[in-house]
Amino acid sequence: MSPSTLSPTPTLSPIAFPDVALPESARRLRAEVRAFADEERARGTVLGRPDSWLAGWDPGFSRRCAERGWVGMALPTEYGGAGRGFLDRYVVIEELLAAGAPVSAHWVSDRQAGPSILQHGTEEQRRFFLPRIAAGQCFFSIGMSEKNSGSDLASVATRAERTADGWRLTGTKMWTGGAHVNDYAIVLARTDDAEDKHAGLSQFIVDLRAPGVRIEPIRLMSGEHRFNAVHLEGVDVPDGMLLGERGSGWKQVTGELAFERSGPERYLSTFPLLVSLLRELEQRSATAEQLVQVGILTARLHSVRQLSLGVAAALDAGHSPDTQAALVKDLGTRLEGALVDTVRSILPTPADSHATPGSHPELLAFALLHSPGYTLRGGTNEILRGIITRGLEQH
Amino acid sequence: MNTHTAALMNTHTIDTNAPVISADAYDTTAFYTDAGAVPTVTNTTAPDAVALPSPGASTAQLLAAAQEAGRRSVPAPLAETALVARPLLRRAGLPVPDGPLSYTIAPELTIRYAHPAPSPVGSAGCLGDDNTLLVTGTLRRVPWARAATAVVVLATAPFGPVLFTLTPDQASLTPGANLAEEPRDDLHLATLEIPASHVRRISPELLDEARLRAALARSALIAGAAERCVDLTVAHTTARTQFGRPLSRFQAVKQEEARLIEETALVRTAVQAAAPLDPGGPAAHVVIAAAKTQASASAAEIARIAHQLHGAIGITQLNPLHLATTRLWSWRDEDGDETYWARRLARPLTATTLWPTLTTTP
Repeated sequence: MSPSTLSPTPTLSPIAFPDVALPESARRLRAEVRAFADEERARGTVLGRPDSWLAGWDPGFSRRCAERGWVGMALPTEYGGAGRGFLDRYVVIEELLAAGAPVSAHWVSDRQAGPSILQHGTEEQRRFFLPRIAAGQCFFSIGMSEKNSGSDLASVATRAERTADGWRLTGTKMWTGGAHVNDYAIVLARTDDAEDKHAGLSQFIVDLRAPGVRIEPIRLMSGEHRFNAVHLEGVDVPDGMLLGERGSGWKQVTGELAFERSGPERYLSTFPLLVSLLRELEQRSATAEQLVQVGILTARLHSVRQLSLGVAAALDAGHSPDTQAALVKDLGTRLEGALVDTVRSILPTPADSHATPGSHPELLAFALLHSPGYTLRGGTNEILRGIITRGLEQH
Repeated sequence: MNTHTAALMNTHTIDTNAPVISADAYDTTAFYTDAGAVPTVTNTTAPDAVALPSPGASTAQLLAAAQEAGRRSVPAPLAETALVARPLLRRAGLPVPDGPLSYTIAPELTIRYAHPAPSPVGSAGCLGDDNTLLVTGTLRRVPWARAATAVVVLATAPFGPVLFTLTPDQASLTPGANLAEEPRDDLHLATLEIPASHVRRISPELLDEARLRAALARSALIAGAAERCVDLTVAHTTARTQFGRPLSRFQAVKQEEARLIEETALVRTAVQAAAPLDPGGPAAHVVIAAAKTQASASAAEIARIAHQLHGAIGITQLNPLHLATTRLWSWRDEDGDETYWARRLARPLTATTLWPTLTTTP
């Protein structure tokens, strides 16, 4: 091969990550959240459990976070939010997740429903929902997936038929986290048939206690009830609960993915297990080999966190770093799973769901039983990798 | 001795416009200008040129230049000079010589004062009339020693840590090389007298800073070489067709390519995280230890995927990929491998300090 046949060097810009400098406000905030987490730990609500954004459901804790302005904190003050930046929010959630705090009650309202209603909702919807979300009094689920629609969301079969003064929804949503305890769900449904599968989809805000909503538990391997099949058996949804434009559902859903994919929850789900391991190692003085494995894991956590912060900084600056977010989610969620395996090999411990709650064998069992989910939720990793290479080609 | 290193030694100038075909010829030219001794790197195949920032440049600028040098397989000790040797000389209060410099840290040397004080305070020989030293021993695998104007040596003497400089012609040199054929020479010193003007007693902190600087420089080079692997692999999978379509259209190829890109992004961001820090400052230890651990730990995966996706062409010298992968395999072991830095990173960690340590920066 001669130099003249070499292609021009492609640049890395689709996967370039901006430098991050957290504002001074974020540093102060970190100290406040850490102190709050310590207080809550003392009262027994912060248990240091893995996957606390899925499994740690505690509306009281969510309300206490809300009182401090840490729910819907990036929402404007006129809608009851704290009007804080995206990076401030980042610091709050990473502190709570690292502590293993029970944030799942407000998780979806804070991460998706709030920003989505702010961006696409009517003024009436904003005035009704956003102050309630920020007060920790209104909890949301997301109704996107179906039996035959996981990563291929465009194939949703739930239908919304026009009625005199609204819509009638029929279909079944799967994997709807918290639908049995939450107040509303944002449901993606087909409003119009179109040649293009991505067209004709719309989003609706559905009252989970409305007639025609039937909720059926889907139990995890651990036996926990977190997810549900939500059967919509002719549910009447008033006109005012259409979220955004009719037919723009696909665009609205995908536009939110960078927020959903790159946050600290994509690499911190099993972090509390590493904390638990260090506690165990302190009692028996670690060997050199154990230290090496802890160090390699720590370096990777540090590096993935820098990437995740880079996406947060890009979002904060108003960009839509979709490729970067997919990259962080693939790396981060694989790290969550690898952490469980590495912790297991650093200190061989039989995982035991029936051991004392909060003990190392019990936390290990919990993280292990949850682990297949890390690389599935929010788009499978194989699909994400396709997004990464496509981002590179389009550049 | 390779032609380019001979040129470096004699004139501090390399000008090889040779095509990218082997380890002895590069697509890069490195110039060491006499004026201000500011090395400038230009790439003969790209219209852009990278000028190494002036000696007063920020860590971020120096890291960016080192990364670029790693990406272009620059045949000169650019990162060694700019990120390690020069700052250490300045910190020790010694003059900074022109031209390419090298360094070596804490080798096993026998060091004593050439002019011991007649009435010592404390243990015998811990004081000298002046700092003139007599040094015996071997400096092993000194990067680019044969091409360096001066070598900065950091060692532990009986009277404490010491930094001194020597020129390669003061020693007997056994040429050596790493896997990438970059010079890694042994320098044998036989009761070599180092004049007081070239010696400084230093603090243990500066000795540690030297290790951090070296690890950071090496991490930046690794990040650059990793980027080169991505560049070459993407170019190859886009251009090469099999079964009637480009390799990049195959799902299996996409999966591996994405992992290559991810691993490279990890290394880059770990290096970038150190950019705002002063390598001698208190926050630097964690971040630099993490950067070198990550860079060294990722090297194997990056080289593996790049080669796998290049197919047979990648295992030859016909393709420039070897310039990057042999460097990755060498550099991951130099200035502390992942085992060394992971242990240093983990040793002070406890259940209560782990998260605060991870959030020290930014």
